[in-house]
Amino acid sequence: MRLPPFKVLEPGTKKSALLTLDKHNKNLKIVAGGTEVVVMMKLGLSAPLYLMSLKKIKVLRGIRKTKNEVIIKSSTSINEILQSPLINKNFKSITQAAKLLAAPPIQNRATIGGNILQDTRCLYYNQSEFFRSGLKPCFKVGGDICHAVKGGKRCFSVYQGDMVPSLISFGSKIKLEKKDSSRTVLLSDLFTGKGENPFSIQPNELLTEIVIPLHNCNYGSSYEKLRIRKGLEYPLVSAAVFLSENTDGNLDNVRIVIGAAASGPKIIENASIYLKRKNSSDEDVDEIANISDNLSEMVNNLSVSAAYRRKMVQVVTKRSLQNAFQDLNKGG
Amino acid sequence: MEKYSLIGKSIKRVDVTSKATGEAIFSADIKLSRMLVGKVLRSPHPHARIIHIDTSKAEKLPGVKAVVTALDTSGDKWGVFRYTQDQQFLPTDKVRYVGEEIAAVAAIDEDTAIEALKLIKVEYKELPAVFDIESALKPGAPLIHESYPDNINIHININIGDIEKGFKESYYLREDTFKAPEDSYFQGEPYAVAAHFDQSGNLEIWMPNAGPHLKAKPLSNVLKIPLNKVRVRKVRIGGAFGGRSEISPADVICALLAKKSQRPVKIIYTREENSIATRQAHSMVATIKTGVDKEGRVLSRDITCYMDGGAYSSTGPIAVSVPFLCMEQAYRMDNVRYNGYRIFTNKPIRGMFRTHGRAFACGIDLQLDMIGQELGFDPVEMRLKNVRKTGEYTSTKSYIASCGMTEAILKTTEKAKWKEKWGKLPPYHGIGIGCNSVQTGFPMGIRGGSQAFIKFNEEGGISVITGIVDNGQGNDSMIVQIAAEELGLDLDNIQLISADTEVTPSDPGSYSMCETFIGGNAVRLAAQDAKKKLLKIASEVLKVSEDQLDLRDKNIFVINNPEQSISMSKVVRMALGRGESISGEGTYWPKVDGRREWVENPSGQLSETFSFGSVIAEVKVDPETGKVDVLEVTAAQDVGYALNPKIIEGQFEGGVAMGGQGGMLSEYVLWYNGRVLNSNQLDYMVPLATDMPKINNIIVETVDPNGPYGAKEAGMSVAMSTAQAYCGAICNAIGANIKDFPLTPDKILKAIEEKGKK
Amino acid sequence: MYKKTVLLKINNEEHIISTYPNRTLLEILRDDLCLTGTKESCGEGICGACTVLLDGLPVRSCILLVTEVEGKEITTIEGLSGGEKLDPLQEAFIEYHAIQCGFCSPGMILTAYSLLKSNPNPDEEEIRHAISGNICRCTGYAKIVEAVKAMSEKGS
Repeated sequence: MRLPPFKVLEPGTKKSALLTLDKHNKNLKIVAGGTEVVVMMKLGLSAPLYLMSLKKIKVLRGIRKTKNEVIIKSSTSINEILQSPLINKNFKSITQAAKLLAAPPIQNRATIGGNILQDTRCLYYNQSEFFRSGLKPCFKVGGDICHAVKGGKRCFSVYQGDMVPSLISFGSKIKLEKKDSSRTVLLSDLFTGKGENPFSIQPNELLTEIVIPLHNCNYGSSYEKLRIRKGLEYPLVSAAVFLSENTDGNLDNVRIVIGAAASGPKIIENASIYLKRKNSSDEDVDEIANISDNLSEMVNNLSVSAAYRRKMVQVVTKRSLQNAFQDLNKGG
Repeated sequence: MEKYSLIGKSIKRVDVTSKATGEAIFSADIKLSRMLVGKVLRSPHPHARIIHIDTSKAEKLPGVKAVVTALDTSGDKWGVFRYTQDQQFLPTDKVRYVGEEIAAVAAIDEDTAIEALKLIKVEYKELPAVFDIESALKPGAPLIHESYPDNINIHININIGDIEKGFKESYYLREDTFKAPEDSYFQGEPYAVAAHFDQSGNLEIWMPNAGPHLKAKPLSNVLKIPLNKVRVRKVRIGGAFGGRSEISPADVICALLAKKSQRPVKIIYTREENSIATRQAHSMVATIKTGVDKEGRVLSRDITCYMDGGAYSSTGPIAVSVPFLCMEQAYRMDNVRYNGYRIFTNKPIRGMFRTHGRAFACGIDLQLDMIGQELGFDPVEMRLKNVRKTGEYTSTKSYIASCGMTEAILKTTEKAKWKEKWGKLPPYHGIGIGCNSVQTGFPMGIRGGSQAFIKFNEEGGISVITGIVDNGQGNDSMIVQIAAEELGLDLDNIQLISADTEVTPSDPGSYSMCETFIGGNAVRLAAQDAKKKLLKIASEVLKVSEDQLDLRDKNIFVINNPEQSISMSKVVRMALGRGESISGEGTYWPKVDGRREWVENPSGQLSETFSFGSVIAEVKVDPETGKVDVLEVTAAQDVGYALNPKIIEGQFEGGVAMGGQGGMLSEYVLWYNGRVLNSNQLDYMVPLATDMPKINNIIVETVDPNGPYGAKEAGMSVAMSTAQAYCGAICNAIGANIKDFPLTPDKILKAIEEKGKK
Repeated sequence: MYKKTVLLKINNEEHIISTYPNRTLLEILRDDLCLTGTKESCGEGICGACTVLLDGLPVRSCILLVTEVEGKEITTIEGLSGGEKLDPLQEAFIEYHAIQCGFCSPGMILTAYSLLKSNPNPDEEEIRHAISGNICRCTGYAKIVEAVKAMSEKGS
């Protein structure tokens, strides 16, 4: 498989990167780790005129702690996150997600920014040009049908990024910068939930930071990922849980985020009303798990059936909750 | 003194150093001066008439040196058998599957070649297509080949004894239908071909193959050049597993491009092309009716099997037969009827696969378990009552000269602690056993034998010349090990010249599990021939009779007085001094019934000997997810004699991964109107290092009377037995029998839920 | 598209390559530099046959743009055995019969090499996890793990 022709731009500073992005926006794709963009080009799914490499911009890498937050720069590799004692100590489920992401050689190059902005996937979309040549174009490539769902009226491609559920569960924000301005939004607000266009990010915006608030209380977290083999795969369904307790020992904040169940992560709102006590009963956990099931929008567009994956949403959520409780009860 | 100096020892393989350093040359690594990049244009339609192909724009593109279509061929149809000639390598009238070759180009670089493909305009008229057995067999279904009514490609009918009588006498009868979708080879190396014609019009060609001689003749026929002008060269091969046996369109296309451009050409397949445009394994529906007596002994069996063969015949007759034959070798079947049908569909072509017919094999074994459940016998008892023994004849009349099946079963059950575990494991833990048998080759007419030559140099070192091919399983090492043993040489004294059709004599190839038995025997005989000549001269010098001499450490010595010796190099030089050259020749033709034919006459000695294997697997099932954790696998196989135990263990372990871990848990092809949805290793789930269980290897040696040093085969039986063992173990774990393979988590979960409802 | 001049440091040697930017490191290695030890088995970064070490860490060269690795230390399988003598890990792979067809071996060996450099005494779980992204179709991984374990024990 060959790469299409493109020009490589290698800005030396963040400022020049933003200017470049502004100048070329839709005609430009960013190379951070390259683990997605190169594959998409080989498959003929992407043919940007320009590739902008972030390799020279050192300020886009690193993990640092301030008084109230931990800031991860967007070009930090998954491996760096995995090796970080700071992340492991404060955000266990993020470390878990990093460990479960693909395989170690991918972790060495993939960046957290790239993983957050990972395009949605579908068996009928992520295929070679040859495969798609005999088929009508689907919604995701700009056509008007869905191959996964006969008569489907929209794109059902799946968001399978490993890092996002944990990040959202901790209440993370992201910083998006462009030429003359920047904005910081909740990570959860980045997602449109639409397979055709999964992210509400402008073509001239650059994701530069992930800001994770520190929590001055006892809390627990867990990331649970379902895949068939013990490695390599994207999640078939995943669940990240964050539980915190207040000084009375009661549950304070409960955030549950389901991944790979739709075109964007699904957040169970107000999960804490279902889990009142610190050691919630199995029934409470089951109830949450049921809710998570209702949020899934799965169709047969991955290598395992939607019916099975739908069943597993409950199981994965439940297990993630149980592990998060264990983490919580171990003490802060 | 030890019986053998090298045989039976796990000596270092002769081919792996260059693989460890990256120096080993595979087909895609071949670089020749002025080499062009070849690329193939493929049909995007599953079934369509070719109205017109316009290559004019492609031909004019600067950098394009040749474009070929069917017009560059004779249009003759080829087939593995005379009665299956249905494939043109570049079709003239219609395409029959998505991915079929239509045209090809050779250009100065890959980008130009890809651009040229885009400039070839093909006008198709799409035809209705069929993608499954049922649709293909429906009356009025579109015909894939005009000469095959009803889309029935092959029908094998084997009828032994009186099945109805057997059923009447049966104490218990049951009929079950088992099915499995396609699996796929996923060899590490994607297919690649490099070809060029030299100044004398000789074709030199490199490609992964399971038998260079079986590639050379069809190439000679198709290209209409004499066989001696076709040189299929030796090359490192990245796995075959049954999928690289017969000639491929890429071979012909590459040669045509090389001829037309008068330059070397190389075609490298993408992983997708390897998945859709080489071979796949058949999908299958097998209905098995079995009747047993009160003791659980099988009295009668009636099996009907439908296999989806894809768009062309390939090795259809073999692929339809082998699943049945393996089982009739493994188990006594005095009254049995087999109807095997291979059906054409508009899908990629299917061939032979290492795990031949998982639905069939797992069906037979799982049904034995189910019968045992009814009658109160455990799976091991059911096997012991029904497996073959030495000296028996198979239902299709093959004599079994050595059979270690019972021994394999007893050893696995002991090692795996079957008695302590059966029926006593905690909930959702299970244990199961699978048994199988594999032939060592089959009648192949004039290509069924192997010949080897040995020549000496004046230092006493040798070259061994043989057609045996190594796909990665260690055959190169086997050859050298045998020659070294017989001639008392170090491995360093031996040069190997193999698998090159210009230089090496004919050999049947490695895909029929016969390289050790047939090829190894030929090498041994060649070495013994040379040894005789050496001993004759040595006996004159040492003044003892030849039977008092032996060879070791490059010396010929008197057995009862080893001090009395002469170096081999001296003997060779003496011979040369006399005007005699020392060389050896060996030929081995297995004693098989040459009249036996897959379809017309499926009766008679199939191969000279058979391997027998038994695998026990212990598993744990997660009842919430249906996922399977394989705790331990114990694999035993009667390999006859282990020429190199570590190599054999490697075959066992690889077989566990392919047949069991992948074949029974996660490997299946997904389809969309004749298109493969999972053509890479991400979505087609081949096992990873983290998936594999602990494996105990047990080598059983019955020392076959005819195998070299008693050796038989070791590459296939464990792969199949493991699939069967996984199946039995999982069904045991969940207390429910699943007949739809592989046993993916969703199916296991469904079975658990349905059991819970009852 | 214009050609770029890229300085590559491969196996302790410097190469100045003039290339179009739309090339992967794997293509440069195999086609331009004739270092064919690194293999392509999927082209999409899935199988690990194309693994090389980038500043000592295993990466997928088939999805690595050549412009991204300028100035970094690249080690291919050819760079492991400095000439005549094999690296002890290569010897272990040979001794323990961890190589069958050999197509996955360069990538597998480099991944294991990198593991042992950062963790000289990995246990079996750590070994399997490290090579979980290197697919082998022949060996079932058993003897590969044995070979790396043997090196691990030597290191302890």
